[in-house]
Amino acid sequence: MHAIRTLFAGVLLSGASLTLSAAGLEVGDPYVRAVPPGQSNSAAFMSLRNISTEDQALIGAESPAAETVELHTHVEENGLMRMRRIGRIVLPAGETTTLAPGGLHVMLIGLKSELTPGQNVELTLIQDDGERMVIQAPVRRLEPMHHAAH
Amino acid sequence: MKRSSIAILLAAAVSAGILSCLEPGPASESSQAPLELATPPTGGDFTLDSAAGPVRLSDLRGQAVLIYFGYTACPDICPTNLVSIAKALRSLHPAELDRTRVLFVSVDPERDDPEHLARYVAYFHPNVLGLTGTPEQLAQVAKRYGAAYQRVEDTGSAMGYLIDHSAFTAVVDPNGRLVQTLGHASPPETIRAAIRTALGTEP
Repeated sequence: MHAIRTLFAGVLLSGASLTLSAAGLEVGDPYVRAVPPGQSNSAAFMSLRNISTEDQALIGAESPAAETVELHTHVEENGLMRMRRIGRIVLPAGETTTLAPGGLHVMLIGLKSELTPGQNVELTLIQDDGERMVIQAPVRRLEPMHHAAH
Repeated sequence: MKRSSIAILLAAAVSAGILSCLEPGPASESSQAPLELATPPTGGDFTLDSAAGPVRLSDLRGQAVLIYFGYTACPDICPTNLVSIAKALRSLHPAELDRTRVLFVSVDPERDDPEHLARYVAYFHPNVLGLTGTPEQLAQVAKRYGAAYQRVEDTGSAMGYLIDHSAFTAVVDPNGRLVQTLGHASPPETIRAAIRTALGTEP
């Protein structure tokens, strides 16, 4: 699992889509998963690189596409996948934190309309220093996690 | 919310060794009765509801059947597995695909009625059937297949409640025998190989 995430992070870093905040947070390759019809929730993934010298944290997010946006993670315990809401995603100075399937994600709850691949979803990332960073995350069709390898 | 009682029932199926339980282990010399938690999944017949009416596993003899337990409000784990399964299905020969069915069993009958499930699974592949049942039926089926899940009420999330669940796929051969389980996020190639092994078509 760790190896997969590492690989995934590598792929993300090579992606072209980068957005930089004033506080030195670089968002790489954000995307939102397209969901089946009638599905009311989705998740956004991205890489978050803290290029500043101070630790930062993501403490929330907002989007006009969903009623509620929360930060979530998955932990696997005794063979059970447990998804949990978390208050913050810590972004250590100089490091890249990857939000990827099976782990950290921005959860979109109560989608206001269907998500069509190719469309963009506006996401506002809220940092612990109060900075708000607006990004556009394209909607992508679900793919098996390792598809980037070929 | 009386269904919260299912959580207790179902927690009984939780086993860290779900996967390894399928391997015939050394015979236990212990004089103690085996814990229920350690009971290996045995598989077996069941009937659950689909939008097209009841589906009985024994009606699917002659086919390889993949069984996955999850819920449609699951934003990540279930779709990830269903996408991999769908990709495996698309890579089968037509004659193999004809003999392969996937059962997506929702353990969230409160939110997932058969009609909603039918729309959900059709997004992935036409050979996927969405099934659910009463909490008691689901508990029994899950236990037979070694699946575990529990409803979590107090998450502080707008989701209302979440369902922790195991994320493996059970593989049933054309004779109705549980022959293998595939772990979470198994790649499509692994799933395809398991289907072919079950069908006896090719490695």
